[in-house]
Amino acid sequence: MSTAGFNSQNGTGAGQPYANGPSQNLQQLPGVNYGMAPLQNYNQLQAKAPMGPGLYPPSAPSAPYQSHPPQTHPPVSSYQPLMPRPPLGGGSLPHTPPLSASPVPRMPSAQSTPPPPPVSSSGYYASPHQTPSMGQPWQYNATPTNPPAPMTPPHGQPATNHMPPPMSMVPPTSAYSAPPPTHTATLPPGPALPPTSLHAYNQPGVAPPPVTPMAPHTYQPGRPPYGAPPSGAPPMGPPPPMGHPPSMKPTPPPTGPPMGNATPPPPKADAQWDGVNHIAPPSESEEGDVECPGTVAGNGPQAPNSYNHVENKTSGAAQPGPPGRHLGHYPSLPPGYQSSPPGHTAQPYPLKQQPYQQPGPAQLSPSLAAMSLQSGTPEALRVVNLLQERNLLPPGPLIPPTPCLPQDLQRVNCNPEVFRCTLTSIPQTQSLLNKAKLPLGLLLHPFKDLSQLPVVTSSTIVRCRSCRTYINPFVSFLDQRRWKCNLCYRVNEVPEEFMYNPVSRAYGEPHKRPEVQNATIEFIAPSEYMLRPPQPAVYLFVLDVSHNAVETGYLHVFCQSLLDNLNSLPGDSRTKVGFITFDSTIHFYNLQEGLSQPQMLIVSDIEDIFLPTPDSLLVNLNESKELVQDLLKSLPTLFEKTMETQSALGSALQAAFKLLSPTGGRMSVFQTQLPNLGAGALQSREDPNQRAAAKDVQHLSPATDFYKKLALDCSGQQVAVDLFLLSAQYCDLASLGCISRYSAGSVYYYPSYHQQHNIAQVERFQKDLKRYLTRKIGFEAVMRIRCTKGLSIHTFHGNFFVRSTDLLSLPNVNPDAGFAVQMSIDENLDDLQLVSFQAALLYTSSKGERRIRVHTLCLPVVNSLSDVFAGADVQAISGLLACMAVDRSVTASLSDARDALTNAAIDSLLCYRQSVLTIQQPGLLAPACLRLFPLYVLALHKQKAFRVGTSTRLDDRVFAMCQLKYQPLVYAMLMIHPALYRVDDLTDEGALNINDRTIPQPRVLQLSVEKLCREGAFLMDAGTVMYLWIGRNCNPAFLTQVLGVPSYAAVPENLYLLPELDTAESQRVRAFVGWLKDQRPFAPTLHIIRDESQLKTSFLQNMIEDRTESALSYYEFLLHLQQQISK
Amino acid sequence: MILLTMLARVSDGLPLAASIQENEQYERDLQQYQTQAKQLFRRLNAQSPDRCTLEAGNLNFHYLIAEGVCYLCLCEPSFPKKVAFGYLDDLHSEFFDQYGRRVSTVTRPYAFIEFDNYIQKAKKMYVDGRARRNLGNINTELQDVQRIMVANIEEVLHRGEALSVLDTKASNLSSLAKKYQSDAKYLNTRSTYAKFAAVAVVLLTLIIYVRFWWL
Repeated sequence: MSTAGFNSQNGTGAGQPYANGPSQNLQQLPGVNYGMAPLQNYNQLQAKAPMGPGLYPPSAPSAPYQSHPPQTHPPVSSYQPLMPRPPLGGGSLPHTPPLSASPVPRMPSAQSTPPPPPVSSSGYYASPHQTPSMGQPWQYNATPTNPPAPMTPPHGQPATNHMPPPMSMVPPTSAYSAPPPTHTATLPPGPALPPTSLHAYNQPGVAPPPVTPMAPHTYQPGRPPYGAPPSGAPPMGPPPPMGHPPSMKPTPPPTGPPMGNATPPPPKADAQWDGVNHIAPPSESEEGDVECPGTVAGNGPQAPNSYNHVENKTSGAAQPGPPGRHLGHYPSLPPGYQSSPPGHTAQPYPLKQQPYQQPGPAQLSPSLAAMSLQSGTPEALRVVNLLQERNLLPPGPLIPPTPCLPQDLQRVNCNPEVFRCTLTSIPQTQSLLNKAKLPLGLLLHPFKDLSQLPVVTSSTIVRCRSCRTYINPFVSFLDQRRWKCNLCYRVNEVPEEFMYNPVSRAYGEPHKRPEVQNATIEFIAPSEYMLRPPQPAVYLFVLDVSHNAVETGYLHVFCQSLLDNLNSLPGDSRTKVGFITFDSTIHFYNLQEGLSQPQMLIVSDIEDIFLPTPDSLLVNLNESKELVQDLLKSLPTLFEKTMETQSALGSALQAAFKLLSPTGGRMSVFQTQLPNLGAGALQSREDPNQRAAAKDVQHLSPATDFYKKLALDCSGQQVAVDLFLLSAQYCDLASLGCISRYSAGSVYYYPSYHQQHNIAQVERFQKDLKRYLTRKIGFEAVMRIRCTKGLSIHTFHGNFFVRSTDLLSLPNVNPDAGFAVQMSIDENLDDLQLVSFQAALLYTSSKGERRIRVHTLCLPVVNSLSDVFAGADVQAISGLLACMAVDRSVTASLSDARDALTNAAIDSLLCYRQSVLTIQQPGLLAPACLRLFPLYVLALHKQKAFRVGTSTRLDDRVFAMCQLKYQPLVYAMLMIHPALYRVDDLTDEGALNINDRTIPQPRVLQLSVEKLCREGAFLMDAGTVMYLWIGRNCNPAFLTQVLGVPSYAAVPENLYLLPELDTAESQRVRAFVGWLKDQRPFAPTLHIIRDESQLKTSFLQNMIEDRTESALSYYEFLLHLQQQISK
Repeated sequence: MILLTMLARVSDGLPLAASIQENEQYERDLQQYQTQAKQLFRRLNAQSPDRCTLEAGNLNFHYLIAEGVCYLCLCEPSFPKKVAFGYLDDLHSEFFDQYGRRVSTVTRPYAFIEFDNYIQKAKKMYVDGRARRNLGNINTELQDVQRIMVANIEEVLHRGEALSVLDTKASNLSSLAKKYQSDAKYLNTRSTYAKFAAVAVVLLTLIIYVRFWWL
């Protein structure tokens, strides 16, 4: 990488050696390091070595829970009354013929509405004219006949420029014919593990096992074991002795179904990917097989208190079941499931962690060999029987699939963290896409903090003349002077200026220019890209100072944070700030330079708001800094005695809008209660008794359109509204959130914020504020997403206003905003081998520079269903489904969204089984790349946004929905499926080494109580919050050397920080936790919890694979899926 | 009232700094005025008069060119010309002090947007009537504003167009003239040939007559 000629353009800009060359952007925050040297830095996470199997003791978690003999009730009897939802339990879903090209609505049994015609599915943005059809399966595409929804562009517009089919310019993709990779990730079975924990485990009753409060006692005895597979289970060996370390077993060739382990070499997968996909052999058997996750015995001596409570509640809840609740038997349980006695020793669901092993070619059974000969099945398509293989989680973060592109194209392709597609192989036709039943869409994180980003200053930005695509690495050069657009296939001239390559300082090498070498690049825009001079950075703070707000004490934290960060607010010498406070009146602050102290101006006419002195309310920060500091110091005490309880938020917002509308900028609103005065007053709509209702949740849509209208006005004047909600009571986030949603702001929610009673929230608020105030910001931005002719974008997810079909208006853009779009295939892509997507974000930096950031993604086109499945990106699919489900919950109903989620899993797996698999076999089969799909769907069911039956405050739910739509995929995935690590035995084996710090890399464990043990300490990373759960018999060494307490009993109740001790263990744990925190913009709060802690409930609610009183366990969910599929 | 102030490099019309006064009365037109200003910057060159007032609809542009930078402001017609040029002079001296040397090196538009701060302060001072009286001494130092050329913005923007129309017309004329010349030449030659042919025919007839009948 030749950086010799680069120079910074951020400073004075004096004297660059060439006028139109790239320059390293030094202002970017450190983050993922990519740009000029993408390959070295893209896969930072891949550098992590796979964990050896010997790192952790096989937790044999079930053993201690056997404190009572296995019950012998017929499994079904005690199981049914708890069947939660009709659609899941009821087996009357009309079946969709999997091969039908047009989607057929799937009806839940409870409803008898006729299936709506499958036209006009604008998917999720159902317009008011369209009654959302209940239970309709998701149609991932919109038909062009759609009436445009009010706030969305007329999506699904067919491409109007019908160009003659272009000749394919691109060399054929080496689809699955790449040379076999080396299996470097294959690990030998590790050494035997210290069996101490196992022994300690086997003393029933000595210490209570970790108990899931959700696990009802009544359920437990009847809980069918993860018994024999439904049918045709492979013969099982005798159970090995108790505590037998897994490594002692002969690593047998997988005895699963014939196709169980067809692992011919993946096409281009790197060795790491191989390592990720190892699945334990299914024939594992274990003594403690009676128990399963979530069914931990509740009769430990010290546990029953909370437990019985839950139990009572459960039994009570069984009678007022929701209407349509299926109380009968699970209709057609697979025979194996129904009849397996609890003590069945043949346990195909391995409870132990298996040493990773890669079945070598020699181990392939003949049929497998035939398989691999027949089609060269890639790793991603390896058949996984979900009912038999348990350890599906990769040991580290899940690595997105790599598109099957020629090496030279993939090398320059966009970083998947920035730009990602749900299907890395685009199906050729819409009918193929419909067949696959997978959503097609893009997930973007366009303004992500990048440490290295090539920046080009050029008087002419080379773009396609017809479709205005920016030149990118995937265009083809016909000769020296002409290039062909990869989106519309028009042949364009190369301008003279472009012939000179400033990096190599050579002439006549247009294909070596930085624009053609980098999929992510930034341009300094010439003046044609400006409608008006670049706006200054303007920050207006709108603060609630009613009695309730003063009571929470947030003003102290806010003012202190702002004082601390006043100098690091992004901006230049033009930066302006202003303050408005409000209760039942609006208070303005005159901060004009020259005043001796800030002047408060009170406007009590909230019906017709006006600005008392328009000029001196928004002031230059540099010139009035002392006044601002004065104000911030006095503000917290100014309202200490206030008795005003009312809140005129709407009027305050109107005033703020008036103040900002000449320039545009950012409005940060801090609100602590329901606005109840003046314009935009709201009433409480939440019925606390309905929080745990198993039926539909009401009031997910806004109560008034006041906030939406105001947001649209704001958007027009380049004002974005960020909402900080600090409230213990219901605030109607569903209505208030509109103000941020349509003005491209963001919402932050701190439930039960209080300066004394909730220290953890205060700390989080502080850290979030710091990040919020100091992060990069782009003003007056627009983003356009273009895609190759034939594809079209029809639905957008995120916070923005859609100005035209593909233009998103973003008054502000921040580095923590994610977007998602849904796409459909309008024209057949028959003669194409590659398609490209380009997102261009035009924004004004806080330094007053107009810049364009362009990301380009290139993907192959495939024509077979198996290739489509092979390219499925399960995280992206889950993320997009979550966005779609949020829309569905708002436009239709929550249960509808939940059904649609389930149906998405059923449909795709059914299609896989019927259309891709050549050999039919029993079990719930999924391709390896989708093996986590059911788990993620279940996790979504149990997510705060979509869960039913568990007490969830309406605001919490709405906030979770906002986050699912707004967060970049990486963080959304942690919200959906948290990561669980065991941290009391961290070792340096396989550790990462970053900046001379050794960061241990423990394995990601399944989210099941079964994985916990009382001897350990476990860290759960749920995105915005982390829990460090300390087992009751936790290793004393860990307690003393990491937590600095002598014993378990001495662990304090409210501990939010790991003490900085000078021990190796402490350093390891802190390095690991710090590394996790560094990976995300908003530092999560760490709660150190014990068994008795109040937060244990929320910790255990994240145990997704376990059963709760209202939701299925993972295994039950799989059985449900299988039953639906085999119908 | 000064509604819009813009600074641009004369050599290529690159905008250097700008300040916009929001005004509800002219809000809608302001965009159009900005476009006009940008067009004007592109038209300007070293030969343009260095002080000029341009009438643009209900408002007036005043501009001043000094040291390769054009200082332009948009005012209401009632706003005194003297003050407007005093304001532009003030901007010039401050801008040249701060950024003068870097003007020729920048490539991106609005590179000195931070000058906006000074523009706004200066504007406030010149717009405010009371403060203006104190500036009287500055105004008297000004050269005679009456001699400053007044033109219409449309004319200036379209002057080039008229010239180019004239140019095309002239070139059309010259090409027509050339065509006429060649046509005339051709006609001349043809008539000459015709004359020769006639003479030749007469001679031939005579010879034949003499040869066959006379003898």
